[in-house]
Amino acid sequence: MCGIIGYVGDEAAAPIVYQGLENLEYRGYDSAGIALVNGARATGDVAADGGLTVAKRSGEVSNLTVPDAPDATCGIGHTRWSTHGPPTDANAHPHVDCAESIAVVHNGIIENHEALKAELGDHEFTSETDTEVVPHLLESELSETAGGDAVDLRTAVERVVDRLEGSYAVCAIHAGENRIVAARDGSPLVVGHGEDAAFLASDVTAFLEHTREVTYLEDGDVVDLSADGDVEVFAPSDDAASDASVPDSSASSDANAFLSRRPVDRSVETVEWEADAAEKAGYEHYMRKEIHEQPTALRQTLSGRVDVDRARVDLDVSFPEALLERIEEVQIVACGTSYYAGRYAARLIESFADVRTTVEIASEYAFGAGRDPDRTLTIAVTQSGETADTLGAIRRADSAGARTLAVTNTLGSSVTRAVDDAVFIRAGPEIGVAATKTFASQVTTLALLAVALGRERGTLSASRARSVLENLRGLPGAVQQALDAEADVVAAAEQYRDEDAFFFLGRDLGVPVALEGALKLKEIAYDHAEGFPAGELKHGPLALVTDRTPVLAVLTEGGSPAETMTNVTEAQTRGADAIGCVSADREFGTLDVAFEVPDVGLLEPLVANVYFQLFAYHVANEKSRAIDKPRNLAKSVTVE
Amino acid sequence: MTDDPVTAVVLAAGEGRRLEPLTNRRPKPMLPVATRPILEYVIEAIREAGIDRIVLVVGYRQERIRNHFGDGDDWDVDVEYVEQANQLGTGHALLQAEPAVGDRFVVLNGDRIVDADLVRRVREATLAGDAPVMAVTDVDHPREYGVVTLDGEDRVTGIAEKPEAPVSTSRINAGVYGFTAAVFDAIRETSPTGELALTDTLDRIADENPITAIGYRGQWLDVSYLWDLLRVNASLVGADEEADAGSDADSAPEIADDVVVGDDVRLGANAVVGGGSALGENATVGPNAVVEGSVVFPDAVIEAGAVVRDAVVAGNARVGANATIAGGRSTVVVDDEVHPDVRLGGVVGDNATVGGGATLVPGTVLGDVSRVDPGAVVSGTIEPDAVVRRG
Repeated sequence: MCGIIGYVGDEAAAPIVYQGLENLEYRGYDSAGIALVNGARATGDVAADGGLTVAKRSGEVSNLTVPDAPDATCGIGHTRWSTHGPPTDANAHPHVDCAESIAVVHNGIIENHEALKAELGDHEFTSETDTEVVPHLLESELSETAGGDAVDLRTAVERVVDRLEGSYAVCAIHAGENRIVAARDGSPLVVGHGEDAAFLASDVTAFLEHTREVTYLEDGDVVDLSADGDVEVFAPSDDAASDASVPDSSASSDANAFLSRRPVDRSVETVEWEADAAEKAGYEHYMRKEIHEQPTALRQTLSGRVDVDRARVDLDVSFPEALLERIEEVQIVACGTSYYAGRYAARLIESFADVRTTVEIASEYAFGAGRDPDRTLTIAVTQSGETADTLGAIRRADSAGARTLAVTNTLGSSVTRAVDDAVFIRAGPEIGVAATKTFASQVTTLALLAVALGRERGTLSASRARSVLENLRGLPGAVQQALDAEADVVAAAEQYRDEDAFFFLGRDLGVPVALEGALKLKEIAYDHAEGFPAGELKHGPLALVTDRTPVLAVLTEGGSPAETMTNVTEAQTRGADAIGCVSADREFGTLDVAFEVPDVGLLEPLVANVYFQLFAYHVANEKSRAIDKPRNLAKSVTVE
Repeated sequence: MTDDPVTAVVLAAGEGRRLEPLTNRRPKPMLPVATRPILEYVIEAIREAGIDRIVLVVGYRQERIRNHFGDGDDWDVDVEYVEQANQLGTGHALLQAEPAVGDRFVVLNGDRIVDADLVRRVREATLAGDAPVMAVTDVDHPREYGVVTLDGEDRVTGIAEKPEAPVSTSRINAGVYGFTAAVFDAIRETSPTGELALTDTLDRIADENPITAIGYRGQWLDVSYLWDLLRVNASLVGADEEADAGSDADSAPEIADDVVVGDDVRLGANAVVGGGSALGENATVGPNAVVEGSVVFPDAVIEAGAVVRDAVVAGNARVGANATIAGGRSTVVVDDEVHPDVRLGGVVGDNATVGGGATLVPGTVLGDVSRVDPGAVVSGTIEPDAVVRRG
């Protein structure tokens, strides 16, 4: 969490950094700040006074007063989701050293900050953050000399980051230098290459309107961006990594104890996302835009991957034949909405590929006893590819020796480096904190994977595969049909907005959708909402049902509709109103509100989910909630 | 605001009721011809005319427009949106754009395809101080449009919307205008709430405030009725050089040259796609099916052996195996108006299903989400959500 942006070039940095912060605000919005190297743009140099200008404050980016500094051409910015220290002005980034000549922004957690702080006894700290040790450590390093010469900023950053434990992406600027030095380990950082300019950010959306030429940095990298836009990347060299490992802190002044880094070439890639895909196109909220983008996103997810006639799927990954033959378990690890997508997919994989499939919340995952890693495929499902909990889980699977696969929306993300293979869901950028289109695209991608595994393992007949693939191809049109009925959902949202609680019910493939529907309502409307397997209602939760607790049910193909309706009726008997998403060829006359789901077989619950998304959106909108930035949340959760 | 002082305002808020059921789920400017929405051609003409800032007035089913065009980056233009909450007429629609434009701007209809050259000429005349400017063109059926009377060749003196009496001219308002901000006061004077057509205002001011006419003989494509969609589509797919050649294998689908095929379309063995057709993204044409002179929207499915001629198959609709839309001419009634002898094999509304072996008599219009049972023979206009039983 937290968003970082940096710019150095020949234009005024403040507006570019500020725009970048607005683009990154989905990553956190507790506080924001900017630091600039006071500049003399006419000469392309720094100002004679050689100072920094820092502006920061708590609240959303729009609360920030941008420094009027047309001559400053180098700057960094940060938007924060609090981990250490509450969202106050003092805890906002950038943080500076005692002399206010070094400014640092940081994403991640520095676990040994207390120990480091103790060493810096004579330095004055002004915040409660873990980050603040970094500028002070840099100050100490820069005050040293190496063979009579002053220590260079890059050397100082290298020395400091090698002492940090935890995860970080840090960017530093230094008064008197139009230059940014940054490093990453465990948190995302990407470089953008402009014309006579360079960018740094947590995510490409920060600078997509300026350039699409990017370099994804790897863990351990230190990058040096100079005033003319030159980018140099330094990576720990293999020899040093193997013999020196982690230096102990007592030897911190001995340069030889640090990792030695060498210049490396990191490839430049072109991002295909459109800049405007990350803009709002006049919608009031990203979330509603993204809900409406689902037909397009799903067509992209499917594009070129489905061959109905041959009953084949091409996902551009190939598993070793031996693994496919001997596989005993598929494990899915994920968090939040991605976890529910995993739950949906697990049923499909188990059924199509005839292999035991388990789904685990990533933060709870361990490679349990009694399993053979050689016969295990572990799949990490994460929209951002940076979710710390999921990264941790997939690394545990990897070190246990399992085959690993990532299903993600983000090219170049950390998860793609941590796994053997990656499959992209191609949903396009998602900015709303509440995931919508990426859920649909994740389930669709995993369903394709289920068909691929079933076909390759010979457990799924061609005719069954064909019918599933035809249903998948029918999904974009079916979702469009649900979107066209939005006015009916608005009416239901208006009718039920003030109820005490909402219970979502489903069976089978309807269970993950019920859970996801409840999560959406919690996230953006702050209403009490719970999802249950419908059969469980009578084993406890029914005690909560009153005439002020509507139930929302998945009554479609793939969700045992008749049985589910029995449970819905139990709730209705206790006075609750019932809203159902019903297959086109069925009718449940006793529902208070019914939404029609077109015939797409086992994917019908996924269309029901679109109605739940719209319901949550419109209930939240009726209550004027901050839909794209729900309180206490952030999109890309890069801490554990 | 950009350097170019001229902004283009595109009126795209209307519903297009004569095109039901296709406009039940999308505004008329978003109907696809040659697989792209009509409005996309309008926006490209504006850009080619050298205008890069476009204000879209949207209302009815505006999500479709916003989703497709976003902020305009894909077309190298800046698109902004203003909302006309209630569709009260084109004058009212234009008033909504008042805060978003400068002193000089051009106005286009989002559902008429014109050449960039016309937009350029209207823009230049507006810049030269000739506003108000109105493009005029000649058509075969002038009484369906705003018939203009001219003083000489370049001065409009009056506009009569869809006159009932016979007219002696074929000259009509082409729906491309150039204005200064003065037009907003003129609209308000004509009707304080702007609940009138823009042309009422222009007709009223024509006496004292001369309207410069710009004669136009280029492409002017209007989709007023369902069958116009087939005609306009055919004229545009013919112009499109791009067509899939197919492979040489015996069972390969056959695709005529004047066909446009969208991304991820699935064509079964021996399928034939004949001239004047367009197949939308992710559509399916099954083995041995025949599609000719038809517009197939995205996600639609035409099953094995079906025949689809002179037809519109809308989004996510399904034409069952061996169903027949034989094509040809018939008499179609729209809003109690009788239109004899129009070429329309049939229309299958969004999400409608034609059962296997069913037959659509020429001129049949199936409402969205309607269903025709297998083997049934259906004619006339079928309401949305209705079920046609075999009987």
